[in-house]
Amino acid sequence: MSIIEKLNAVKGTVPHYWPIGAFIHHNPLKGFENLNFKEALTKAQNTFGGKVYMDPEYYIALYNEDRIKSQKLERNLLQPLKEKNLERYLEQAKIFMLQISPLWNSFRSYEDLKVNETDEELHTYLEKNSIYMNTDMWIESLTKHMTLYEIHDALFETNEKELIEKDVIEYIARFLDQQQTTLSMEDRDLGMFNTFKLYEDIDYVVDAQTYVEEALVELKVDDVEKYFLTHILKLHGWAGYIKYRSEDEGYFAQQEHPSTLMDYMAIRLHFEVKYMQKEKINDFEKLHDYIKNNTPYAILKLLQAKGKLTGTYNDAMEEHQDYKEILDAYIKDEINLNSLQVQLAKKELPELDMGLIAFSNFANLLKKEEGYIWLKSLEDTYINQHIEEFTTHHSYNEKPLASTIFCLDVRSEVIRRKIEASGAYETYGAGGFLGIPISFIEFDKAHALNLAPAIISPKNIVFEIPTEAHDEYNSKKGINKTTKKVLSDLKNNPYTPYIMVEAIGWIFGIKLFGKTFFPQKTNKLFAKMKPKKPRTTFTIDKLTNTQIETYVKRLHINLINEVLTTQSDTSLNDNEIEALWEYLVFNKDLQVKVSQSVLDKLEHAYHITEQDYNVQKEKLTHVGFTLDEQVVYIDNLLKMMGSVNNFAKFFIISGHGSISDNNPFESALDCGACGGSISLPNARALCMIANKPAIREALKSKGIDIPAETIFIPALHITTTDEITFYDTEVLSFKDLELFAEVQKDFKSASLASREERVKVLPNAKHEKDLFIKTMDWSEPRPEWGLAGNMGVFAGPRNSSRHMQFNNRLFMHSYDSNIDNENAEILTRIFDGPLVVGEWINLEHYFSTVDNKIYGAGSKVYHNVVSKIGVYNGNYSDLKIGLPTQSVIEEGEAYHEPVRLLSYVEAPLDTVAKAVENSIAKEFILNEWIRPVIIDKAAKKVYSYESGEFLVIKELD
Amino acid sequence: MLIDFILLFLFAGVPYYVFFEKTKIVGKERLFLLSAFLVIVGMIVSCNFEHEPSMPFVVVAFLTSLFSLYKVNKTNNLYKLTYYILFFNAPMLFVFKTKESILYGVSLLIALLGVYLMGRYYERTYGSANYQSVSGITLVTPYAGLILTTYFTALALYPPFPNALLFLNAILNSEINLMWYLIVVVIFFGNFLIAARVMAKTVFGKPNDNVHYIDIAPKERLIHLGIFILLVILSFVGLEELLS
Repeated sequence: MSIIEKLNAVKGTVPHYWPIGAFIHHNPLKGFENLNFKEALTKAQNTFGGKVYMDPEYYIALYNEDRIKSQKLERNLLQPLKEKNLERYLEQAKIFMLQISPLWNSFRSYEDLKVNETDEELHTYLEKNSIYMNTDMWIESLTKHMTLYEIHDALFETNEKELIEKDVIEYIARFLDQQQTTLSMEDRDLGMFNTFKLYEDIDYVVDAQTYVEEALVELKVDDVEKYFLTHILKLHGWAGYIKYRSEDEGYFAQQEHPSTLMDYMAIRLHFEVKYMQKEKINDFEKLHDYIKNNTPYAILKLLQAKGKLTGTYNDAMEEHQDYKEILDAYIKDEINLNSLQVQLAKKELPELDMGLIAFSNFANLLKKEEGYIWLKSLEDTYINQHIEEFTTHHSYNEKPLASTIFCLDVRSEVIRRKIEASGAYETYGAGGFLGIPISFIEFDKAHALNLAPAIISPKNIVFEIPTEAHDEYNSKKGINKTTKKVLSDLKNNPYTPYIMVEAIGWIFGIKLFGKTFFPQKTNKLFAKMKPKKPRTTFTIDKLTNTQIETYVKRLHINLINEVLTTQSDTSLNDNEIEALWEYLVFNKDLQVKVSQSVLDKLEHAYHITEQDYNVQKEKLTHVGFTLDEQVVYIDNLLKMMGSVNNFAKFFIISGHGSISDNNPFESALDCGACGGSISLPNARALCMIANKPAIREALKSKGIDIPAETIFIPALHITTTDEITFYDTEVLSFKDLELFAEVQKDFKSASLASREERVKVLPNAKHEKDLFIKTMDWSEPRPEWGLAGNMGVFAGPRNSSRHMQFNNRLFMHSYDSNIDNENAEILTRIFDGPLVVGEWINLEHYFSTVDNKIYGAGSKVYHNVVSKIGVYNGNYSDLKIGLPTQSVIEEGEAYHEPVRLLSYVEAPLDTVAKAVENSIAKEFILNEWIRPVIIDKAAKKVYSYESGEFLVIKELD
Repeated sequence: MLIDFILLFLFAGVPYYVFFEKTKIVGKERLFLLSAFLVIVGMIVSCNFEHEPSMPFVVVAFLTSLFSLYKVNKTNNLYKLTYYILFFNAPMLFVFKTKESILYGVSLLIALLGVYLMGRYYERTYGSANYQSVSGITLVTPYAGLILTTYFTALALYPPFPNALLFLNAILNSEINLMWYLIVVVIFFGNFLIAARVMAKTVFGKPNDNVHYIDIAPKERLIHLGIFILLVILSFVGLEELLS
């Protein structure tokens, strides 16, 4: 196996980390999805440490509140007991789970050890089965996932880790920087390792892979694969980001400054070798010899470094007592404590007819299984409640005045319910990108936003172009740009800050204090200075060849003009410029007099060449959609939601986004299905397409007859405030506008009702108006609860869930299995997109809640933005993956309830089975990373997928 | 000369380094009480017999102080810390004038008594007064974290705690020479570094998952409240002395 293959074999352990500007929720254990959920969690715990389930106390509290039903707990408890032929002890096992387990650790007490005798037989049994009897294995377990320098630090109280990690972070943060710093690292285009060679003065020809091989030889590493994993785990946030970059060919920063995990490994090993060189023990061979010759001391120091030695032993170590004696005493005490723990726990179950040794195994089994048992019991309780409600019959026959498509996002649930309650309205749910992946270039912006799930690369480009004069916009924008530039120059110049702080430093205070103490007033003040965007439209249709050629020519001529006016004294008229362009692009004779330096600049710096002409032309062929594409997108969307007839007068398609200030995680609150951006452009594009008569005509052949009077209106739902704003209403006639005013009024009252419901669960908010303050308050760490609380997804007709209240906890995708074809293509699409994104969101919340230190980002309070790609703690730390504590935890208690995605699908079992088989989600579905529940109304059965089979959990009447 | 010798004996930990460190006749949990008693006796002697410290004794006291600084950095035991910190501050009790020296000594003893009682709490809760594995107490046992932070902030000579005010007062009332400068600078920064080291290891940081944390009991909190009140009173005394 080559070095690169060994690295590839372990890199799956860390998930992709997307830059924070386009926050993509992801499963932190993505690399483990090939395993069954339970098995994967055990493996992940062995790799990362920490917790994978909530503490027993958490679940017991839910049990006591009757949110975990006793019979569900018993059913799930019975399974592991049956496997060990212990089912007759079900009642005692339950008592253990509810009463003894929370006290389990407290039974290991030195105080109790003084007053209790330990059972000899049990002691001997535990001693025989303990790791302490096998020194090699014990040392291996203690040094698991430890680098050479970490073991060195532990044994000799050195501080190499601090220095090495600091140097690594400092270099990679500077290399990966995306214009946060004003002094960028030079020569980054050479690639991460080649630039590093210049940085560290490595002056011989060597590539990253060879350098890694050399370092591994120098360190005398036995198991290279394992050592790669050890290094990856040290800063797995940074490693995850580098992995993501290296695997996304389209990522611009990667194209500019390439980096690979092998480069990263070379950098890490370079610093390890560099710092260890000066130490006496500087390779694994010497280390093993040292440990062999000083085994008791080495074990004690490793235990001490891991915080496993109690004070008494630390005192003895300080006093340099005989290390063998200390270690023997430690082992004796540990086994005594283990015996005592079993004995005291057993005392709590006096009725149990089991010997101490058998009880020890019984207790260990329950401790090992309890996390999963509790989790599954909680999920089963919810499933039970939900299917009862999903299967009660309700009918809604009123002809709607307006239908609205919302994102399936959990945050749409309350507002959908309120809208439906406010009048003759129906709502649908669909993936936030509405099935139309676009690369969107906003008005006055130069870069494209990919408005699609992270797993889809959009093929169509959509430009936003103004439809009215925008002089005021340009003028305000110009002023703001100049002011910003002046302030930035003053700030970044080496001399000016000395004067600037005293002279104008207070200006920055206005924003700082204003947005903290008087957010509303300050926001109002600054809003006046913001330029107002003019009315715009989108480039929906494909450009003709002539148009494409004209646009590229115009782009080139503008560039030539700019060069001539700003960088040379040559003055040419329009015809001459065109002639110059033709010379550069088509190699025609040059009729005008232009200096060679200007020609070189145009050719080499501005790339005005035939090649660029063709590249630009090719790019422009991606602008807009063909008629067929437009028809397909509308057809797909409507069929996916089951909306093919009885169209309402107004068909509103709503995108969504969030508003907050001073929040690096803002994009985590935007639309996940749009790559962490606002999904309004998708909604506007679709409405523009759907309002075209030609499209409606074409749709008729596909069985969708949209009446001429139906008008598609795009809207934007702000999830922080539940406000809904409508766009492009100019398509409405005067008469329609009057009718639409009613809709707007009802939606406004629905927004208010939604805020009133949501404000009850948001901390530091008493009145619905407080939600608006949260969008502009700089000191607000929690502008909204976002997707916290998500617990499931429902794919089925809205009428089956309309009567239910989910409190923003369910993703809801409209789906009608009757419209789906025999290959379940529609459901497969739902599984491929929304379900995948839903699983990522759900598991990101799950793991950030169960162990925020390992899988989450920690508290926002300590975060600093680094390199514009993420956040870290203080001056240097690992890149923080996952969600901050403020997103999932409230006052130390979990706000998010961690359960796997309860995935309810209302469809025949066969259809679901086909969709699973064809879907990219198959692996995680079959491995139970979600909880599929199939409501098969035709067969009058409800199934749950458990342990590899569909079990009937309810028969319908 | 004799007085200097007696004071050196009582203040600088001579009995400890000569008899107790190796023989272990007195356990570390009692050594602070014994050392504090000797320091109090020293203060009484100093009060009753006028004296000017002679340079050789000051130098010896400073050397034992440096040795104590070395020892204090080698231990993670709160009991040991209390008497090492006391010995480390001994030169101040020498070189400051009697009144200032006694006031600083009293505030030092009170803050160290608090640390000593926290050592007892550690011993009872975690089996030993050694705090090496008991990290991040502020997050899991906030009362214990607050109490220990207060004592070590006082010992680190942060105003408005009395140690800082009385130390400053003593500086302002001293006669200055090169040795004095050296001692004051070393002890000022030494106290800060000792306190910072302890706080970094046990008060702050990540709690240890292997430790079962139990916060300080309400009754004990009352005792520490009493010590805080004493420190507050001494702060006012220090302020008064400074202003007078």
